[in-house]
Amino acid sequence: MKRLLRIIWAILFSRATPPFVIGFFLLVYVGIAFITDETLIALMRYTRTSFFLTAMLALLPLNFAVRLVVETIGYLKMRRVVMVSTEDVQPGLFDETVELTVTSSFEQLQSHLEALGYKTRRIAGALGAWRGISIFPARILFIAGVFLLYAGILISLTTRTSERVAIVEGEKFSSSTGESGIVERITFEPSSGLILAKKLSMEVAASSGKGKNVFGVYPPSLYQGAFVYPRYLGIGLFFNFTAPELPAGYETFSPLNIYPPGKEATSVIPGSPYRLVFSLVGPDDETDPYTTGRMNFNFKLLKGKDLVLTGSAPRGGEFVRDGYRLAFRDSRRLVITDFIRDYGVLMIWASGILFVIAGCFWLPVRIFFPRSEMLFRSGPDRIQAFSRAEGRGRKHEGVFHEALDLLEMRRTDRKSFEG
Amino acid sequence: MATAIIETTSLTRNYGDICALKPLDLQVPEGEWLSVMGHSGSGKSTLMNLVGGLDRPSAGSLQVGGKDLLALTEDGLARFRREFVGIIFQQHHLVPYLSAVENVMMAQYFHSVPDEAEARLALERVGLGHRLKNRPGELSGGEQQRVCIARAIINSPKLLLGDEPTGNLDHKSTVMVMDLLKELRDEERFTIIMVTHNQEVAAWGDRTIYLDDGVLVREERMNS
Amino acid sequence: MVAIKLIPHILSWVGIVLILLRGFPERKRVVAVAVGAGFALGVAGTFFLFRSFPGDFSFSLIRDVVGGSFLLLWGIAVASIYRSTVRNFPLSWGERFFASIFFAGVGAFMSGMIAGAISVCRLGTSGGMLMLLILVLVACVLVFESLAIERLLPPSFTVSNSALMAGVVALLLFSSSSILRLDLFSPLSMKVMKFTHDFVHQFFESMLIPDHLFIHIHLWRYIGLLFGKEVGFWGGLIIWFAPAILIALAISFERLPSVAHIRQGAQRRTVVATAIRARRFRLVVPGITILVLAGAGYQSRFPAVEYWDPKPIVISAGPSGEIVIPLKGEVDLKDGKLHKYLFSQGGKEARFFVLMTPTGQLTVDLDACAICKPDGYGQTEGTVLCYYCKTLIPLETVGKPGGCNPVPIHFTEKKDGVYIDGLTLINTWSTTVQTTARVKEGSK
Repeated sequence: MKRLLRIIWAILFSRATPPFVIGFFLLVYVGIAFITDETLIALMRYTRTSFFLTAMLALLPLNFAVRLVVETIGYLKMRRVVMVSTEDVQPGLFDETVELTVTSSFEQLQSHLEALGYKTRRIAGALGAWRGISIFPARILFIAGVFLLYAGILISLTTRTSERVAIVEGEKFSSSTGESGIVERITFEPSSGLILAKKLSMEVAASSGKGKNVFGVYPPSLYQGAFVYPRYLGIGLFFNFTAPELPAGYETFSPLNIYPPGKEATSVIPGSPYRLVFSLVGPDDETDPYTTGRMNFNFKLLKGKDLVLTGSAPRGGEFVRDGYRLAFRDSRRLVITDFIRDYGVLMIWASGILFVIAGCFWLPVRIFFPRSEMLFRSGPDRIQAFSRAEGRGRKHEGVFHEALDLLEMRRTDRKSFEG
Repeated sequence: MATAIIETTSLTRNYGDICALKPLDLQVPEGEWLSVMGHSGSGKSTLMNLVGGLDRPSAGSLQVGGKDLLALTEDGLARFRREFVGIIFQQHHLVPYLSAVENVMMAQYFHSVPDEAEARLALERVGLGHRLKNRPGELSGGEQQRVCIARAIINSPKLLLGDEPTGNLDHKSTVMVMDLLKELRDEERFTIIMVTHNQEVAAWGDRTIYLDDGVLVREERMNS
Repeated sequence: MVAIKLIPHILSWVGIVLILLRGFPERKRVVAVAVGAGFALGVAGTFFLFRSFPGDFSFSLIRDVVGGSFLLLWGIAVASIYRSTVRNFPLSWGERFFASIFFAGVGAFMSGMIAGAISVCRLGTSGGMLMLLILVLVACVLVFESLAIERLLPPSFTVSNSALMAGVVALLLFSSSSILRLDLFSPLSMKVMKFTHDFVHQFFESMLIPDHLFIHIHLWRYIGLLFGKEVGFWGGLIIWFAPAILIALAISFERLPSVAHIRQGAQRRTVVATAIRARRFRLVVPGITILVLAGAGYQSRFPAVEYWDPKPIVISAGPSGEIVIPLKGEVDLKDGKLHKYLFSQGGKEARFFVLMTPTGQLTVDLDACAICKPDGYGQTEGTVLCYYCKTLIPLETVGKPGGCNPVPIHFTEKKDGVYIDGLTLINTWSTTVQTTARVKEGSK
């Protein structure tokens, strides 16, 4: 049992785990690529449905969560060591460790290092010296970012639910989670934003009757815990169709995915061989019919494979020929919208923000103020010295070696030749 | 008796018909300070150049630090000079547009890799801790020569060659430079061969040999 | 002629043997024997493989083995970069394995075997056993030559374990990329293109990013670049070169030895300088590897073969809307060559070809696939090639749907010719090919 726990801890703690897990998924991806062209989709599906693959993926956030804790503890320990606040020094934390068979109170060394720009702390036979800023904050932000990224991917893959609904102007705003008020207005107009060219807004009366909710394109709004993600625009068309074989006529409201103008969508007349293919006519003045509400519809009537007739009519108009009649009673704007429950998305975005902050901190610190540290501890007959540097290592090592030379050579006793 | 660091047998150097150094047998024990005196053209510099691996003998044998210099290839000789020999010239040969510390670091660069802290320490050892960033033009003759000493000893040579190192210095600076060399020799235990015209400078050494027309004519041991 | 064909393979072979010999300086004899034996077995095995499975299977198998070695190289490259940048990265078992005689022997044997197999793919089996025997003899002579050349190399020129792997795999890739059906770079580019397309699509959807309807058109054009073949090419290049670059970086990030215990500055610097010099020498092989991979990529991008690419013959349908192409008319449909046609109806055009596969089956396909822009196909030895993504489709699989295969069209073969429904042809072109053309122009 203990052995098993040790193995689990080793897997969770090891820095080898992430490359192994990612490599494993890469191999699975390559394997799937032999079977299907939709490799990424298939990999996502397998990971979602297979306990083993989910568990493998879960190793990543777990590993980084453990690392977050372990590295924070390690950093605090290291800080205490360099600040000479503890005697528990682990040589593995340093780049260089050396023992000299001399003793010293480090008084002169302290002033020497201070003259070189190091901050120092000397307590009872030990001297800690450091300069620059540690990249630890960037490191911890990075690890937290990676944790959030993988946790987000895991949560998104395993818990995401999506429901596609057509939100129609003048109709109730509803999803499987419940109903809200009436969709009062859908507007779609040009936007001067940096990224978005169009601004979409769906104004929905609150179910209580007081106030209203407005849903836009981005950032996605939340509705009863689900993100409202507008996908496509369309037109809800109320039409009435009669044919020689259908004298009673057929009337329906059909949500049609026919935006932008020219895009075709089909509506099947049930119980008959007829199909109607609709499209929106692009106005000559190049205005957007969805924005202006001035809509003209092209249609094709097919009977089986045969084209019976084609024509066009405006909203509220009708088309009559050879015993066929098609009347467009009304048309409404609609937005095909996905209601998505996925909190992993927030974590993934948060990870992106953390990466940016970490990068902005890391770069200047690493270039201009890299952290370097050294520690000297005096024993009864020897001195232990430790050194590490996060950047400009060669220069720091030079100072460290010089400090060791000074300790051994007792340079302060040497005659001065100042001319 | 210390081990001989330099051992020559019938060491000869001819330049065409001119014999600059006639067959010379010489032994220099490790750690000795040997002064070489003689008139101009007596073969002093020729001897120094041969011992320092700057020139090849025409005949004879030359062992320095256990290495047969005649057997070394050009690369081997270059490595020998890099790792074994430090040279101080009368003309300082410092790079004018580099600071004192950079001049010393340049010697480190040609030897292995530069190390600023160590170069700074070397200059502090020769008393120039306050002149690290000054260029040669901003230093006095004595200071420049001390930079040369720091440059010569930075790579911990076993053999330090001086070719009239105090030739351009006044008496006070000469004494200071000689005092410094003696101090460093006592600490580092390297061997010095110093060519000089100046009897007083030669007296800083343990032994003086006199050359005349390429021939060792006299040898004198100094009282410490 | 045979010798000229074999030049890339001979160069690769000598390179592989040299790198192996220098990579295992203590085990030169084992390496020489193992690599030679591996080559001989690779040649013999591939000979029988082609005799048993003369079709695409044998090529696919050898290509997959080379691809597998490339994946292994990726693993080693990542491990190397971790090893040199991360303190206490646990890889000591891997290093022990690398240093073992077992690895030296097996590694050399496997390298020899793959190299031998690739050489047979180049020569073919038509020359018979004698030709292959000569090939093995030449390879063995080259091993002895390499042993002599290796002695002339400077002793400071050392090869790290990861660089050894990189060098050998790169040379195998160089060798295989000169054979169209073993080429890996073009399929890799194709897969990268597909992955990028899928990933961007999935990323937009997962991150709830608005569709192109809402985004500025100029911004969308930039996003559209991610769907082009250039992404496949550049992405492929990154994947192609990354292992060698990672290994080179890993070597340059290697920690220098600690010299704090040495009290003389010059000695310390000497130790450091020696380590730096040794590190620079270890960078030589990764550097050469990058050049070799560039050569392999070039061979793949600009293969030294000629394509059979006939001009499409304009054809029209009869009154019934059916296209009839005689089996033996202007062209002989059963000559095993690809014959292209251009059909127009109602202002729409569709390009297609008729081909007799090596199995004796006639097949009618669009001159386009369902993934790439419809740049069409050319025919070369044993394959057709998609001009857009440079993927090779074995002739045996032409007529089957999926991937980068040409989209098959239903047809009827009668005694007098091949019958194709014109409307079906136009509709298939419209529904599959025009969609891909639009997607490649930058729509999601």
